[in-house]
Amino acid sequence: MTTTRRDFLKTSIAVATAATVGIPLSQSVLAQATKANGDWRWDKGVCRFCGVGCGIMLATKNGRIVATKGDPDAPVNRGLNCIKGYFNGKILYGKDRLTQPLMRMQHGKFDKKGKFTSVTWERAFDEMERQLRKVHQELGPTGMAIFGSGQYTIQEGYASAKLIKAGFRSNNIDPNARHCMASAVAGFIQTFGIDEPSGNYDDIEHTDTMVLWGANMAEMHPILWSRIADRRLSAERTRIVNISTFRNMSSDLADLEIIIRPQTDLALQNYIAREIIQRDAVNWDFVNKHCVFATGPYDIGAGMRATGKFAFAAEQDIQAKELVRTLDKYEAVAQRRKAGDKVNQENRGKAGRHWTISFDDFKKAVAPYTLDFVAALAKGDPDESMDQFKGKVKQLADLYIDANRKVVSFWTMGFNQHQRGTWVNEQTYMNHLLLGKQATPGNGAFSLTGQPSACGTAREVGTFAHRLPADMVVFNPKHRARAEKLWNLPAQTVNPKVGSHMTKIMRDLEDGSVKWAWVQVCNPFQCTANANHWIKAAREMDNFIIVSEAYPGISAKVADLILPSAMIFEKWGGYGNAERRTQLWREQVPPPGQARSDVWQVLEFSKRFKLKEVWGQQKIPRLKAKGFEDDTLPDVLAAAREMGYSPESTLYDVLFATAGNKKHKWPDPLAKGHDNHTVKSLGENWFVEKALFEEYAGFGRDHMHDLAPFDVYYRDDVRGLKWPVVNGKETQWRFNEKYDPYVKSGSGFDFYGPALKALPSGDLDGVTNAEKTSLTGKAKIFFRPYAAPVEQPDETYDLWLTTGRVLEHWHSGTMTRRVPELHRAAPTALLYIHPADAKARGLDRKDMAWIESRRGKIKAIVETKGRNTMPKGSVFVPWFDESVFINKLTLDATCPISKQTDFKKCAVKVYKT
Amino acid sequence: MNLSGILVLVPPEQTQSTITLLNALPGVQVHYQEPAAGRIVVVQEAESTTAEIDGLKRIQALPKVLSAAMVYHYFEDEGEIVAGIPPELDEVEGSKNNRVPPFLAQ
Repeated sequence: MTTTRRDFLKTSIAVATAATVGIPLSQSVLAQATKANGDWRWDKGVCRFCGVGCGIMLATKNGRIVATKGDPDAPVNRGLNCIKGYFNGKILYGKDRLTQPLMRMQHGKFDKKGKFTSVTWERAFDEMERQLRKVHQELGPTGMAIFGSGQYTIQEGYASAKLIKAGFRSNNIDPNARHCMASAVAGFIQTFGIDEPSGNYDDIEHTDTMVLWGANMAEMHPILWSRIADRRLSAERTRIVNISTFRNMSSDLADLEIIIRPQTDLALQNYIAREIIQRDAVNWDFVNKHCVFATGPYDIGAGMRATGKFAFAAEQDIQAKELVRTLDKYEAVAQRRKAGDKVNQENRGKAGRHWTISFDDFKKAVAPYTLDFVAALAKGDPDESMDQFKGKVKQLADLYIDANRKVVSFWTMGFNQHQRGTWVNEQTYMNHLLLGKQATPGNGAFSLTGQPSACGTAREVGTFAHRLPADMVVFNPKHRARAEKLWNLPAQTVNPKVGSHMTKIMRDLEDGSVKWAWVQVCNPFQCTANANHWIKAAREMDNFIIVSEAYPGISAKVADLILPSAMIFEKWGGYGNAERRTQLWREQVPPPGQARSDVWQVLEFSKRFKLKEVWGQQKIPRLKAKGFEDDTLPDVLAAAREMGYSPESTLYDVLFATAGNKKHKWPDPLAKGHDNHTVKSLGENWFVEKALFEEYAGFGRDHMHDLAPFDVYYRDDVRGLKWPVVNGKETQWRFNEKYDPYVKSGSGFDFYGPALKALPSGDLDGVTNAEKTSLTGKAKIFFRPYAAPVEQPDETYDLWLTTGRVLEHWHSGTMTRRVPELHRAAPTALLYIHPADAKARGLDRKDMAWIESRRGKIKAIVETKGRNTMPKGSVFVPWFDESVFINKLTLDATCPISKQTDFKKCAVKVYKT
Repeated sequence: MNLSGILVLVPPEQTQSTITLLNALPGVQVHYQEPAAGRIVVVQEAESTTAEIDGLKRIQALPKVLSAAMVYHYFEDEGEIVAGIPPELDEVEGSKNNRVPPFLAQ
């Protein structure tokens, strides 16, 4: 590069940077700078990496991304990006990018013990088809499964869900988002009857109090954190509270840091509720008009298997607690029992059941959670004095209750990855609702997400084992009927039996009830707890595992067949972020080699199955539903014929290449010259991604989830829109009459979500009147007691282990570890431990140590300083590094309601190697 | 070669002294400033992407710097891109014959 060219570039970069962040520049400077790279094509996109949904601008030249910058017009990030955001362009160009299908072969044939050999797409699909036919014959629709994703584009998730639910009549599709925010979903549905937050990121600038519960936003959501920091620095009265099990970077800005023992957040929240009542701070006007009180059963297990048959010897003692729990004194109080009582976990299968209670019962229920009681239970740092801890806890209650303060509570995995994740989500709403501090600018409980389309795809499209699009569920006959109508399917095509959730699909592989699994846009063999079981099942059992991937992570290595996938800007797509903002992008560059989009993979594979193979009578073990013969899905071929389908029609014809979809023509002027390799590879002339989006949007329009027309999101003046988008207008705060067109006029607030809105009534121990009362328009204030973690440190495994992310890496690291500077910033996973705990084990900083749980052991490097400071008795290991495979150690206990795994607490021992 | 546009934020009264420090860093050049808001735009040139991140951290470590965020990132001429195939899985517990074959064995 010549010096002149370099200087010219530098000037233009300086101008672009200044312009992006709003430093005033003269027109002539701007004009000169834009000349520098006149041959670049700029377009808007959205960051691939977390749930915040930052806008980025991408420049391409000759089919390659050459530059990225923060999008100054994006309301989420206003021109800034965090370190991860800068690698959206680079992530496409890692050296070990997968560019051709690879199958385990020996002697020219598929062999599970064979070596990976490159094959054609045709050969890959042939084997997938052959294996699926075999499994379908033996086990029926439930023998297959799809591991889906919160990183699916909207169209990918929709295509996969439709293929398996409408085509194969199996509900065994579940996203890695199950590990990420299922508890948030269950909390939303049970409390409000509808999923996703009422507020949005602008709450940050409207509030003066922000409480972080198990959310290290400084590291995990740095762009939102920069907005929080701005707010803290510019508005004097702003206060920030960081509640965590160890000191992390968010404490640097926080005014109040509260270190708690794992799972005692349940008790802490009840203390706040008790204080609200004691101080007569209940907003009765709000509560009487808009809320009811509710509770549910306590004896719900911990989401583990009911049998010890598959457990390792060392796991048996914890496993047994799934059926019978011995209460400690803190747990016993709320159940009105004694410490040492043994309680059969009789409501394991009905954990989500609940009923209304009176305010008097609610008040009685939170009464034991006094400051003394909660502080004795919850104090998490042995070196902190009890008086100091009590003072902090009281200050927390003061901040919530202060009538002159607005409050936003933020949380992520600390709440969601929790054996009572649904409960602890509900408790946050409990306090916000009691105070009437919900659904107004600057007031609200706000669940953040970790993946770019956990909301937009996994939740809204419904790529879960129990869900259909737009908050509908497979076990509701009306919802099935609506889906069948929109999908143009015969009645009773959709299977009413909920499929297997993420962890259960793994258990199904282990016990042989699933034998064909397709991994899409995720890395489940790394990210599922207690991984030794699942890797063994995948490699040793008679099954066929397909992994669509861009890079060889653990799941690809475990696979029988690897399919090379196109990455984010190599395809058309859309994501939905944590504030209900839907954002779409164009294909910017072609995928490398033979890599293809996941949409193409799903559609191409769907050509291989005919209706007569899948719409005949099917066996579904344990199916029981009104209108269905037990264990059976009916033959719907005759009805299909009446609808004009032939038994010879392929799933592609019936589900995807429909007359309606073919109306969306490709090429389309909105492409502005951008290509579409999916359409071209299919050999079609219809715009697949637009057709899928519009078809999917049909579920939510006029059903409280309205999306704008596809084309609108591509307008130059649009940077995503927050649904519901009604009459072209997005919705800022839901349930609030001033902002939300769905709210009944004159009501002020209307919690109109329709799910679970007719309840029996009872007391704290159960239902006393089975007659159901309608709760239309109301939100529920749940009482949920403290529950002890099922595994706690003991004499053998004497430390708490918690896991999580660090900023430089994101999730399992299959992408971010490919970018050298990200890799360099945190080269190997560390074991963060208190210096005294290290010393007691003969360990120094930088020593290699074994970490061992009942389920496995791994090595990691000891770190006693740095960004995370552990209290005595607790250790932390990030989970991005496959050479430090922490999920071999973690416990696969889940919230029994949400089925989300608790990655945040198990017991380990640490010793010298 | 990597070029990046970086926004540096400092307390407004520290703008001038920070500009001096920034200009003294090799590969770093201050282009624009907004003293009233303590905002400084620099362009950094680095041999490799690794050096670029180290450079950003060097700026973040300067006294009085509240934040240094990359806004613009240019890598048109870059040939490098790294990361080898990650290490093989450890042996899976409790099993002898389930060793995952080396990935991409020739």
